[in-house]
Amino acid sequence: MIAVSRLRRTFGDRVAVDDVSFELVPGEVFGLLGPNGGGKTTTLRMVAGLIRPSSGEVRIDGVPVTSETSARLRARIGFLTEAPGLWDQFSVRQTLLVYARLHGLDAPERAVDASLELFGLGDRAAEHTVKLSKGLKQRVALARALLHNPSVLLLDEPTAGLDPESARGVRDLILRLRHDRRAVVVSTHNLDEVDRIADRVAVIKSRLLALDTPAALRRRLFGQRLRIVLAEPAEPVLAKLLAVTNANGALTAAERVLVADLARLPMSVPDLVRRLVEAGAAIEAIVPEDRPLEDAYLELVGVRPGSDGGQTGVRPRREA
Amino acid sequence: MTRLTAILRKDLLDLRLNPWVILPAAIGGTIALVLPLVIAVIVPQVSGESLSESGELEMAVDIMRAQAGGAALDPETAIQAWVFQQFLMFLILIPVLGATSMAAHSVVGEKQARTLEPLLATPITTFELLAGKALAALLPALALTAIYFSIDLVLVAIFARPGVLGALLGPRSLILVFVIGPLAALAALQVAICVSSRVEDDRTAQGIGSFVALPVAMVFVAPLVGLQSVTHLILGGLVAALVIANVLLMRLSIAVFDRESILTRWK
Repeated sequence: MIAVSRLRRTFGDRVAVDDVSFELVPGEVFGLLGPNGGGKTTTLRMVAGLIRPSSGEVRIDGVPVTSETSARLRARIGFLTEAPGLWDQFSVRQTLLVYARLHGLDAPERAVDASLELFGLGDRAAEHTVKLSKGLKQRVALARALLHNPSVLLLDEPTAGLDPESARGVRDLILRLRHDRRAVVVSTHNLDEVDRIADRVAVIKSRLLALDTPAALRRRLFGQRLRIVLAEPAEPVLAKLLAVTNANGALTAAERVLVADLARLPMSVPDLVRRLVEAGAAIEAIVPEDRPLEDAYLELVGVRPGSDGGQTGVRPRREA
Repeated sequence: MTRLTAILRKDLLDLRLNPWVILPAAIGGTIALVLPLVIAVIVPQVSGESLSESGELEMAVDIMRAQAGGAALDPETAIQAWVFQQFLMFLILIPVLGATSMAAHSVVGEKQARTLEPLLATPITTFELLAGKALAALLPALALTAIYFSIDLVLVAIFARPGVLGALLGPRSLILVFVIGPLAALAALQVAICVSSRVEDDRTAQGIGSFVALPVAMVFVAPLVGLQSVTHLILGGLVAALVIANVLLMRLSIAVFDRESILTRWK
């Protein structure tokens, strides 16, 4: 449905996007992560045919996006821009009606009514957009992006600045779109959100640093780990265990928790549990350690958790 | 075409919601309506001195008598008709000036309000967008001109000498109002839209737009008002020049409307 191949875009000497490739299938939610200025919006704009790549290619449903095809292909794309971009003096209905006509819908009035209903904006239809809250403006912008029933959705920061309730509404909508077999690209800084809704994520810092499912990214960066919660301090238990096994480096202790790196553990999990019990450990719980996607993201873009988030001099890890 | 009319309707709705935009043009037009009445009708009546007495406006008599159907005009009627015809230029240009302000705002205003990117994300082409915006500025200007021209005719019929109305309804005036005027207005508005596409703030657009667009319109309108003898050849030449100028200006507008720099460089 969307095929992005070796996309590169420069502005003068600055390389905004370099060698970015990914593909999306219908019914997939694809998260685009990256720091400010990392090339997310530029990538979305190139996919939408709003700006041309310096090299590389975007295909929508197999058709290359070029200056000749872009206007036609935009009919299949719904683009939520970073700013809602609503005309202040227009009512919600008037705004949507303009876009229904721009998309050449057969019955624009009816399409607008259906959209107002779908997005719960019916009672706000006559209100000037300038009077709407940020969340409602975003809802109108989403209604606008979906008015023509596009098969591809490009959402640039869809929940930025929204209150939790509005943000949840947007996430629910994205999940509905996935259910409707639309291909959805979500560019965002909200890692928790991407973790919840995206089937796959791409981390971009001009170049593509990683592309995988959120779980696989975590696994690749941090391995699979188990947290073993004990009733007593973990250090002495670990010392006893290391005395009888060669698990050095696969186990770490902190307060009442032992963390086992399964990739380096020289035994099976049942084996480990049996040996812990034999060593006299009182196990309260064993849970898979689920490190937040944020940790994986920070690792990928080269920012150490706890730093100021700026350039640390740490070289970003490149995808093999 | 649907998308062009969608932009046209959208900008006309915008105008309806912000009618004060055309207030300066309305005030200017009103002045251009009243002034010839004062000069040609009220002052001579109040002073008791007719316009033809001084002999300074004999050239005006010649101009009006040279026009179709004007040979039989007496000097006073000819001079009155000439004064009203001169002010027709302002009746055309002043609404254009108001519309120029709208046109100059059209692109840069959308960009500043961050409403341009969602528009560009639709299937609209650059031609449809710019033509819709040009027409949305042109139509109110034409409507204003038509209204002022109608009022002008009524005032002339009531207050001017018999024969002035007939002279004003001659081919030169009608061509000026209904052919040359609209084409010159469109050229001026396209210049303003070109400027709007290239500058980064509204005030610069308004300033440069008005400064450049009005002379463009005057270049085409003024000769028709000022020339003593206007042949079919001159008329045809002016119309042809305007049509060509408008086609070239539309091409230029499309060429200078660089989506990429508008989206990526303007902040």
